[in-house]
Amino acid sequence: MNKFGTMFSDVSVSLFRRPATQRYPFVRTETPARLRGRLEWKQGPCTGCGLCAMDCPAKAIEVTMIDRKEKKFFLTYHVDACTFCGQCVISCRQGALQMAEGQWELASLDPAQFKIYFGDPNVGRNLASQPDGQPAEPEKT
Amino acid sequence: MSSVLSIGALLVFPGGLSLLVGGLLYEWFDRKLLALLQNRVGPRWFQPFADTLKLLMKEEVVPDGVNRVLFQGLPLIALAGALTAGLYVPLAGLKPAYGFPGDLIVVLYLLSLLTVCLGLAGANTLDRFSLIGATRTLTQVFSYEAPFLLALLGPALAAGSWQIGKIADYAGSHWMIVFQPLGFLVALIGLMGKLEMPPFDAPEAHTEIVAGALTEYSGRGLALFRLGKAVELVIGVTLVSAIYLGGLSNPLWFLGKTLGLLLVMVGLQSLLTRLRIDQTVGMWWRYGTLLVLVQWLVVILVMR
Amino acid sequence: MAETNVTPKRFTIPIGPQHPALKEPGHFQFTVDGEIVTGAYVRLGYAHRGIEKAAEERNWIQNLYLLERVCGICSHVHALAYCLAVEKLANVEAPPRAQAIRVLVAELERIHSHFLWMGVSAHEAGFDTLFMYSWRDRETVMDLLEGLTGNRVNYSANQLGGVKCDVDAAQADSIRKGLEFLEERTHHYLNVISHDTSFLQRTRGIGVMTRAQAEVMGAIGPTARASNVARDLRVEAPYAAYKTFPVKVVLDERGDLEARFEVRIKELFESFRLIREILEALPEGELVARMPRRIPAGEAIMRLEAPRGEVFYYIRSGGGDKPERLKVRTPTICNLTSVVRLAVGHQLADVPMILAGIDPCFSCNDRMVQVTAADNGSEKLMTWEELRKYGIDFYRRQAK
Repeated sequence: MNKFGTMFSDVSVSLFRRPATQRYPFVRTETPARLRGRLEWKQGPCTGCGLCAMDCPAKAIEVTMIDRKEKKFFLTYHVDACTFCGQCVISCRQGALQMAEGQWELASLDPAQFKIYFGDPNVGRNLASQPDGQPAEPEKT
Repeated sequence: MSSVLSIGALLVFPGGLSLLVGGLLYEWFDRKLLALLQNRVGPRWFQPFADTLKLLMKEEVVPDGVNRVLFQGLPLIALAGALTAGLYVPLAGLKPAYGFPGDLIVVLYLLSLLTVCLGLAGANTLDRFSLIGATRTLTQVFSYEAPFLLALLGPALAAGSWQIGKIADYAGSHWMIVFQPLGFLVALIGLMGKLEMPPFDAPEAHTEIVAGALTEYSGRGLALFRLGKAVELVIGVTLVSAIYLGGLSNPLWFLGKTLGLLLVMVGLQSLLTRLRIDQTVGMWWRYGTLLVLVQWLVVILVMR
Repeated sequence: MAETNVTPKRFTIPIGPQHPALKEPGHFQFTVDGEIVTGAYVRLGYAHRGIEKAAEERNWIQNLYLLERVCGICSHVHALAYCLAVEKLANVEAPPRAQAIRVLVAELERIHSHFLWMGVSAHEAGFDTLFMYSWRDRETVMDLLEGLTGNRVNYSANQLGGVKCDVDAAQADSIRKGLEFLEERTHHYLNVISHDTSFLQRTRGIGVMTRAQAEVMGAIGPTARASNVARDLRVEAPYAAYKTFPVKVVLDERGDLEARFEVRIKELFESFRLIREILEALPEGELVARMPRRIPAGEAIMRLEAPRGEVFYYIRSGGGDKPERLKVRTPTICNLTSVVRLAVGHQLADVPMILAGIDPCFSCNDRMVQVTAADNGSEKLMTWEELRKYGIDFYRRQAK
């Protein structure tokens, strides 16, 4: 039996119901616990092995080794390049990386916001303040 | 003094300004209601105004290979036609500003002028989507125009006058929707066809032919055509509700009636799938005309 | 590509590369006689992204995420096909729990894809209410996927040798709850698409493809199944956990657009059933098997049933940490010929519907383009230097 207006039930109910649209900036819904947000790094376990950088499909992680013996190194995380696939978290054998839950509102007009240094902040900052942004003699892995 | 009043009538109410503002507000109501029916948020009340303003401020690109005069003149003629029609209909439920015997026909043709201008505007450009759109627009005019006209003439026949004011007076004491339900149905659906609302939006079906006849229009021309459509919406709804839903009445109650009418139209819009142009033509000539002729027969027999 | 009766003197309607009916660039030329389509021509290649070449430059792990982006809608299927092929090469079998979760995500993705398709097709037909509601309900399955894997679109549920995400009791409950809602809605939509008079006017008897035609034109996926061709790789060549969780093939013999709608929507019920069964009987065990970083030399082929049809992967490894050659074939390319054939003789208004009926996805299928010169039709290949010089000259001439 064909009939007209089979969606009448939806339409009539909706007239008296609030729109399904999420009013995002005004009303925030809770993000799921597994949501992959911005990368987080733990100083302790990281050995600077560079596996994360090697497996990163977007080349969003750079490991800059300054002195391998002294364990002096830092990581540069390019938030704008990151695709939030979570491969680095799996590749890291030390468990030093994780995708922060709830950290997903990352848009910015300032490009500097997209560069995050993991590691000795002074090392990172000193390098960043140099005109070419390159360490004197970096040993990249 | 009287000349000041008539200029005021032309520019502010019931002519010009009030029609434009009213048209855009009705357009907003249409869009908002459709959004609510589809469980969306929909635009805010000033969205149609903002759209129009934006279009008016934009550069108007005149494509190669068109007749410039026609290209820029047609939107003006279309809008002027629609605005002129506003003088003869009982806007806001008040007595029409002007009237003469037979003005119903004039109003209908002034409204068709807009559609014809649309068709010509499409045919004027070289764009293939415009051409197909123009063909469809004009084809559709020929399908709904006759039944729609006949549906509005039914009450005129009953009232014994072809003057909108007189019909509305007569309709004040006789709710035509009760006496001529078939005519009302055809008039309502005909109005949707006239306004190219879904499901009769084949002439501007954007998944097929982009924007139909208006594909090449930008800036001022597009704004004027859109304004013309908005004015047509007000006049159409006013006309149908004055003729079929109890004639003249106080503005608030009349507003309620027109919005109620619009609600039904929006409901139909949301429930139906776009008709192909051949289906539109088939529907109007097969069912629309038949229904309205049956209605006429009944009216004539009863009047005897 | 495929071509039927193109005569340049006729009135042609170009659809694409930029057109509101297509959300991706593809070019169709329809010769029309009034409203009737008399010829059709398709040209692809506008969204060629060089993914296959790019895959040769990345290591095995990076490629997983590159290939996941072949298609935005069936991303999991592409990643899965790649994973299974690489696992085949490395002689590693993912643990049963991982395989079951892979199928679970694949079926959720099928639900999401079919809901999306239903909305798009309804929109092409000018039935925006169905479009809005089906996309509203699609949010439910997107939320489920987000909760399960951590992302809404490119889920990255796979990793070489297994999966990343586990399904715990709470997850299973939320999935069951979501499915309950979706199943109720799917029943409603089935009623709409098979009983709504105004909608049926646009689908019934439109774009009829007989079984013989479907076989000749090599149609696959739901498009073929709507023409009664029992072709479903989940049944014919079960992969991952489809051996333990068998699917029933949904067939329809009418072959028109209505049948394509019905087949896809009825497939949703199969997906719901399958997901529930998997949640009931999820095998215990590990999520990942250990994978070597270097994959032994060899070749592997993997065929999977994506929501749109068969996805085909060929991978050759030279024993290094990168693939030597990788070839992807997506379902749209197989189904496009049928569009070109079926459109002829129909109204122009039906063309977007027929096109949408195969659920096309253009950027997935664009692999390589051979451009023929417009003036003499030669297929001359240009070197990079020549192309560069040509480009500079071209823009210099434009500027004048």
